[in-house]
Amino acid sequence: MTMTPFEIEEELKKCVKCGACMAVCPIYRQTGREDMVARGKLNLIELIKGSKELPAGWLEAVDYCLLCCSCEENCSKGVKITEIIAAARVQQTEIMGLNPIKKGVFALLKNRIISISRFVKLGSFGQWLLWQRLPRHSGLVRRLPLPGIDEKTVIPALPKRNLDDLLRKQRAAAGLQPILFFPGCATRYLHPQMGLDLIFVLEKLGFNAIVPPEFKCCGMVTWGAGDESTSAKLKQANLKVLHENAGIKQLVTGCASCGHALKDYDGRPQNCEILDISEFLFQHREKLEDLLGKRKLRQKITYHDPCHLRKGQGVSKEPRWLLNLIAGENFIEMRHPERCCGAGGTFGITHKELSRKILKEKTLAADATGAGIVASGCPGCILQLTEGAVVAESDWQAEHPITLLANLLHQTEPEER
Amino acid sequence: MDKLIDPLARQLTARLKDAGFRSEQIVADKVLRTCYGYDATRQSSDPLLALLPENELQVQTILRLATEKNLKIFPRGAGSGMSGGAIPSADGIILSLTRMRRILEIDEDNMIATVEPGVVTGDLQEEVGKFGLFYPPDPASLAFSTIGGNVTENAGGPRAVKYGVTGNFVMGLEAYLINGEKITCGNKCIKSVSGYDLTSLLVGSEGTLAVITKILLKLLPAPETAKTSLLAFSSMTAAAHAVNAMFKYQINPSTIEFLDHHSINAVRSELPFALPEAADTVLLVEIDGPEAQVKNQSKKLNELFKNDALLLIDAKDESEREQLWLARRKLSPAIANIAPHKINEDIAVPLAAIPEVISNLEELSREINLPIVCFGHAGDGNIHVNVMLDKNDPDQAERGRKGIDKIFAITLEAGGTLSGEHGIGNTKSAYFDKEWDPVTIATMRAVKKAFDPDNRLNPGKIFPL
Repeated sequence: MTMTPFEIEEELKKCVKCGACMAVCPIYRQTGREDMVARGKLNLIELIKGSKELPAGWLEAVDYCLLCCSCEENCSKGVKITEIIAAARVQQTEIMGLNPIKKGVFALLKNRIISISRFVKLGSFGQWLLWQRLPRHSGLVRRLPLPGIDEKTVIPALPKRNLDDLLRKQRAAAGLQPILFFPGCATRYLHPQMGLDLIFVLEKLGFNAIVPPEFKCCGMVTWGAGDESTSAKLKQANLKVLHENAGIKQLVTGCASCGHALKDYDGRPQNCEILDISEFLFQHREKLEDLLGKRKLRQKITYHDPCHLRKGQGVSKEPRWLLNLIAGENFIEMRHPERCCGAGGTFGITHKELSRKILKEKTLAADATGAGIVASGCPGCILQLTEGAVVAESDWQAEHPITLLANLLHQTEPEER
Repeated sequence: MDKLIDPLARQLTARLKDAGFRSEQIVADKVLRTCYGYDATRQSSDPLLALLPENELQVQTILRLATEKNLKIFPRGAGSGMSGGAIPSADGIILSLTRMRRILEIDEDNMIATVEPGVVTGDLQEEVGKFGLFYPPDPASLAFSTIGGNVTENAGGPRAVKYGVTGNFVMGLEAYLINGEKITCGNKCIKSVSGYDLTSLLVGSEGTLAVITKILLKLLPAPETAKTSLLAFSSMTAAAHAVNAMFKYQINPSTIEFLDHHSINAVRSELPFALPEAADTVLLVEIDGPEAQVKNQSKKLNELFKNDALLLIDAKDESEREQLWLARRKLSPAIANIAPHKINEDIAVPLAAIPEVISNLEELSREINLPIVCFGHAGDGNIHVNVMLDKNDPDQAERGRKGIDKIFAITLEAGGTLSGEHGIGNTKSAYFDKEWDPVTIATMRAVKKAFDPDNRLNPGKIFPL
């Protein structure tokens, strides 16, 4: 997964310092600082390559990256910028070790000391002491002043039952075709309902979602943080599951980042196609159109491209086809739907102020459409957008397209007039 | 920690912080300041420090402090220039204007935008577009280059054929002299002949005369529609005649771009349509304006070239238009496959001289035994000449250097100029006296001296040091 020093050197040579990355970097757009845009970061990485001493400025520049891939998508030389940044972060953790908070979180992902599912369950009892429900959105905000957390910071509500618990009680109908479903940590432990929605839609299309409980975190967040050994372990565990289920031809996920990570796994079974749920639905468009019939969303809706879906996987048409299908003319594009929302894995937590500035542009663009729903196929984006709506007191809610689709399919079809 | 900051930079930092600058506006760290030492020419020279003022008073504070300490100032926009205009010296301060990026006013009644220099050109176009207005200059870097950089380099783009270059849209400026005093040039009046036209003097001055802090830009009503066509011809001469014929027959395209046969061959396999084998030169023509007029002109274009062109495609919708432009967009990465390096010049010649210059360049290519790829703006005579080579091969590098000398000689011989849109900067200053006679250069130097007597503002640019 991580590039070798030689590969990095070759990539760095490709940069001609044209500055095109400045057009799209969310961090540069806010700061105007050239050390915080890809061109500058690559310059810094080249400057101190191989060095055992990492200057403070270098560390800051390498830290100021959302891994949103915007620069990479816009780079005429095709420099693999995000991989270079990730490799630089590996270099950093090798020399300086991992930040203790990240270390703790990643230990959970590996099921060390305490399993992530038990951690979430304990949290689901304790959370009400400090946090309270948002009136109109899913998610929680603090009850009392807490250090480092303002009154508009939204965290996900921890559910009592995770997706694995809920699935234990379900039994698939007969005659369905098996398909692998990779829920990802957010869906599995934080928004299990979204997982159920996705499974419900698959069933309606004649597929039985297989969700092996052995699936681990996809490794995207640990990779982005420079924790190479954890990423490798998670990848190996997931590859093992994929090979054990090699007879199943397709795998779907509803999480943009998981899809991006899985598609990049080297050594995965050749015959297993990995698809974002929107890509899968597009493959079955005729059946889905029949199923939906005349059911349409009556609310105005707009769409935010998750970076790891559009720029990471090159998927931007399929979600739009889906929203056109479920909302018709009520689907309105916002200005610059491709711009990052500022979440960027843990960036939104570690760089709150800057993340909020990036988010503000996004919420303004969503507000301008007059939509009541902002759809986005990424749990990270949904959480960040929800916080954006809370901060700006906007009238819309952030939802996953699959939730909207499942809700429509649950409704009875309107009578012909 | 101490070794990371130069003592003088530390002293200046303390003074600026006392004056209200915040940490993120000062890049003094020896590692980070390297990010302000280069531009798109890939030269590199680290400044003493880089400063990012947020308003004109902070610009003034910096200029006064630099005057007090007798330091050089290097103004900088996005650092995307192609002639080294933003390259600092080791004892100089980079004045990065990227945080002065407010659109101060869009005056719909007078059709004038007032902006700070750090506004990105593409962002301004998007913003005025919301009011049904249009800022035409379209340098290739418009998505990231700044208005300030565009003005000081007098940047142009494909639309120059019909609309002109950045300078044609600058109505007025506010700027600070090197000593921190402010001057005002121009106004919102369409007719304005009171005194010397300092606005025009500062446009294209490459940051050597004053630091621009406010810009008044003329806007136009947005064109109703635009239509793109692609025409292929059997020779450069045939294509040049075609350009001539368009103007003669009162077709008024906003853009006429051309690709020579090297360019065509580089992108041919990536195009979504088939180009005839015999195609030697391709023209991309865009016509914009009111619906009826565009339709009429497009019809004329088809009638005029239905026999002479080897291929004529009209884009029917936005996606077809995008497909035709692909040929041009794919070009830069595609020609990179011809050789590892390129020396890129942006000469401009009178329209009628294009075929002669292109044929002379082909001869030169044979002479120095290196491919020379030409493409660019056939409608305004601005040709991007790319000598393709491997700079690591000393023999090729020497032939390339000789080639550049000859390219400039061919250009000037044809009544052309060293640079159509990139500026002289430090990359072409050695050739400056080939274009202008000594008295003319002395007059230009006298102007420089009147603005900047101690040569502290962007020294080493335009004139050789």
